[in-house]
Amino acid sequence: MLSLLAKFLKVLNSDASPGQLSLGFAFALFVGLTPFFSLHNLIILFLVCVVRVNLSAFFLGSAVLALVAFAVDPISVSVGESLLNNPQLLQTWTDLYQSDVWRAFKFNHTLLLGSVVIAAILFVPMIIVSRLLISVYRDRLMKWFDKLKISKLVKASKFYKVYEKLGA
Amino acid sequence: MTKWIRWSGLAGFITVVALIAAFWLLALGPLMKMAVEKYGSEAVGAQVNVADISLGFSPLSLTIKGVQVADKDAPMENMVSFDTAVATLEPFPLLLGKAIIPDVKLTGVAMGTARSHSGALSSGTAEKKIESAESDKNTSESADETVQSNESEADSKALPSADEILEREELLTMIYGEAFEGAYEQHKKSIDDAVANLPSEKALKNYEADLNRILKGKFKSLKDFKQRKKDLDALKAQFKKDKKAIADAKSAIKNGKSDLKQKWSQLKGAPKQDLANLKGKYTLDGAGASNLAALLFGDDAGGYAETALGYYEKVRPLLVDDEAKAEKQALKDKRLDGRFVHFETDRPLPDFWVKTLSFTMALPEFPKDSGSMGQVAVKVVDITHQQDVIDAPTRLWANGQNLKNMKSLKLTGVLEHRTSPGNDAFDMVVEGWNLSNIKLGLAGLKLVSSNTYVQANAAFSNGEMNVMGNGLFKQSKFASKDRTVVAKEMVAALKNVNQFTVTATAKGELTDPSIKLKSDLDNQLNKAFDKRMDQKQAELETKLKKKLNDKLLSYGGDYTDQLKELNLTEGSLGSKSKSLEKLGKSKLSSYEDQLKADAKAKADAKKAKAKAKAKADADKKKKELERKAKEKLKKLF
Repeated sequence: MLSLLAKFLKVLNSDASPGQLSLGFAFALFVGLTPFFSLHNLIILFLVCVVRVNLSAFFLGSAVLALVAFAVDPISVSVGESLLNNPQLLQTWTDLYQSDVWRAFKFNHTLLLGSVVIAAILFVPMIIVSRLLISVYRDRLMKWFDKLKISKLVKASKFYKVYEKLGA
Repeated sequence: MTKWIRWSGLAGFITVVALIAAFWLLALGPLMKMAVEKYGSEAVGAQVNVADISLGFSPLSLTIKGVQVADKDAPMENMVSFDTAVATLEPFPLLLGKAIIPDVKLTGVAMGTARSHSGALSSGTAEKKIESAESDKNTSESADETVQSNESEADSKALPSADEILEREELLTMIYGEAFEGAYEQHKKSIDDAVANLPSEKALKNYEADLNRILKGKFKSLKDFKQRKKDLDALKAQFKKDKKAIADAKSAIKNGKSDLKQKWSQLKGAPKQDLANLKGKYTLDGAGASNLAALLFGDDAGGYAETALGYYEKVRPLLVDDEAKAEKQALKDKRLDGRFVHFETDRPLPDFWVKTLSFTMALPEFPKDSGSMGQVAVKVVDITHQQDVIDAPTRLWANGQNLKNMKSLKLTGVLEHRTSPGNDAFDMVVEGWNLSNIKLGLAGLKLVSSNTYVQANAAFSNGEMNVMGNGLFKQSKFASKDRTVVAKEMVAALKNVNQFTVTATAKGELTDPSIKLKSDLDNQLNKAFDKRMDQKQAELETKLKKKLNDKLLSYGGDYTDQLKELNLTEGSLGSKSKSLEKLGKSKLSSYEDQLKADAKAKADAKKAKAKAKAKADADKKKKELERKAKEKLKKLF
C-alpha cells in the first residue's frame, strides 16, 4: 500500500521544474476559482493531463484556491454582471448566445464569466510569481527546512524510505 | 515542443472520458427511470411508476413505457396512465443540463384506470406537496354544497324539518310552558303547607265532643263552671286559629287557581302563536321558482365542476408554481450564486421544454355505464415552467374524434404565466350532443332526449375563477315515474317545452366559488313548483302543530285534573269552615242563671203539683157530690 502511494507521488512529482510547478498553480486558478462542473474545466483538465504540468502543484493549488474562491465569488459575480450588462458588449453576447457551443460554456452566467475572466487575468502573473517564489524557496528556504526537526522526522519515516528507494 | 506533451496523460484522459461516457450511456435508462419516478412522485404527491426507459440514438430519442401516475386522492386509481411515450431529444441542450423535447407522442392514454397496488406515498416529501395543494383542494365539494342537488335537499334548504325548527327557534310554547311549570310547583307548595295546618275530621269530632262535655250537664259547682268556661275559651281560641288556617288555605288555593288559570290560557295559546310566527319566517315567497334550475341541473353541474376543477388543480402546480419561483429567485439573489443573463434568440432554452405533446384519449362516459362517447385528440404546445424564457404561453387544443351522440367537441386553452399572477383561460364548444335519459334533480324527472349545444369559458387567475357556461337544449322531452302531484304537474307543464336554455356561472375563490344556475324553464314551471312548495309547507305546518301540542302537554300535563283537585280541596275547606263556625257560636250559660232556672223549675213543678192536687181534690169532691146526688135521687125514686 505504501509503495503504491509512493509510486503515485513519484509519478506526480516527476515533472518538478519550477516552470512546470508554476504552470500547475496557474491552471489551478481556473479550477479553483470557477464553478467546478463547467465545460471549460474539462478543457483545463485535458491540458493539465496532456501538457507536462506538475499535477501535485495543480491539485494542491486547486484545493487552496477553492477555499479562496469563497471570498472571491462576490467579486466574480460583480465582474460578470458588469460585463454581461455592458451595452457595448451586448451585440457580442447576443451573437455568442446564438451558438450552442458558447452556450454550452455557460458564458452568460455571471459567476462563471466573472471567475473565468479573473482567472485569465491572473494566469500569467501567477506563472511569474510562483516561478519566482519556487526559485527562492529552493535556493534559500529548502536548506533551512531540511534542518528542521519535523523534516528529520519525516525523513526517518518508513514512507520516506520507500519514496527514496523509488527515486533511486 | 513534443517534450512538453505527456502522451500517457493524453491516453489516460481519453480512457477516463470514454469510460464515463460508456457508463452514462448504459446507466442512463435506469437512472432516468429512477429520476422520473422520484421527482415525478414528489411533484404529483403520489406514486409515479415507469416500466421501462430506453434511449435511441438515431435520432436521439427516449422511449418510456408503462407509465402510471397515481391519483393522490384515490390511491388505487391512476390520475393518468399511458402505454408508450416517444420523445425526441435535442442532444446539445442536454449537455447544458436542459431537456428540450421537440415532440412527444403518447399512446394508450387513459384516466381513472385501476391500479394493482396503492399509489399513496408514505414518505414525508409527499406530505409537503399534499400540504401545499391542500388549500386548493375540495373546490368541487364546496361548489357542490352550494348547489341544491335534489328534491329532498332543496326542500331541506328551503324548508327545514319540524325538528330542526323546534331546536333552533325560541318558542313561546317553551317559554310559557316553563313559566307554568314553575308557577304550579310554587303554588302547590304553598297550598300543601297551608293544608297541612288545617284541622282534620277527627279533630273536628274531638272539638264536638269537647264542646258537648263543656256545654251539656249541670254545673256541679262554681268551680266546675269556671273550669268549663276556661275550657270553652281555649276551644274557641283553637277555632279561631283553625279558621285563620282555613282562610289562608283558601287564599292560597284561590291565588294558585287564578295564576295557573292565567298561565294555562297563555300556554294554550302559545302553539298557535308559535306556528303563526314560524310560518311567517319559513315561507317560500317566490323563492321556489328561482331555485328550479339548481334543483333540476344542480347535481350534474356540481359533478362536472368537481371533475373539471379536480383535473385543473392537479395539472396547475406542475406547470408553474409562482410562489416557489419567486421564492427561489429571492433566495438565489441572496446567495450570490450568480444568475443566467438571457439574450435575444430565436432558439430559447429553458431548463425543461416540451415543444409539442400529442395524444388521443377516450372521453368519459356520460351518463355513467353508457359506454365511451368517443375519443378526443389533444395537442399541447410549449409545456414549460419557464414561459418567460421562451416568451410564449402553453396552449392546448382538443378535438373530438369518432364521437358517439355528438357532432363535434372543441376545447382550447391558454395557460399564460409569463407575468405574475398567471392567467389560465379555457373555451369549450359542444355541438349536436344528443342527450338521453338524464336524471334531473326534482320529482323523479328525466330528460328523455334532447339535442344540446354547450358553450363554456373559464378563466383562472390568482386563486380565483370565473366560469360561464350556456346550454341550449332543443327538441327536449321529459318524463317522470313519480306519481306525486308535483311530478305530474311538472311533466304536464314540460310537455309544452320544446327548447330551453340553462346558464351556469361560478365566480370567486377556487376553494369556495359562488355557483348560480338560471334557466328559462323557471317561468314555465313557476306554478307547478309553487304548488309543490305549498304542499310541503302544509305538511310541515301539520308536523309543527303536532310537535308543539306535544310540548304543550309535556308542560301542562292534565291541567283539568289538577284544577279538580284544587276545587275539591277548596270545597272541603268550605264545609270545615262552616262546622267550625257553628261550633264557635256555642255559648256557656252562667251558674246564676242555672240556679235561677233550677228554682224556677222547682217552683213550676210545685205549682203544677199543687194544681194537680187541687184538681184531683176537686175531682174527688165532685165525684163525692155526684155520688151523694145519685144516692139521693135513688132514694127519691
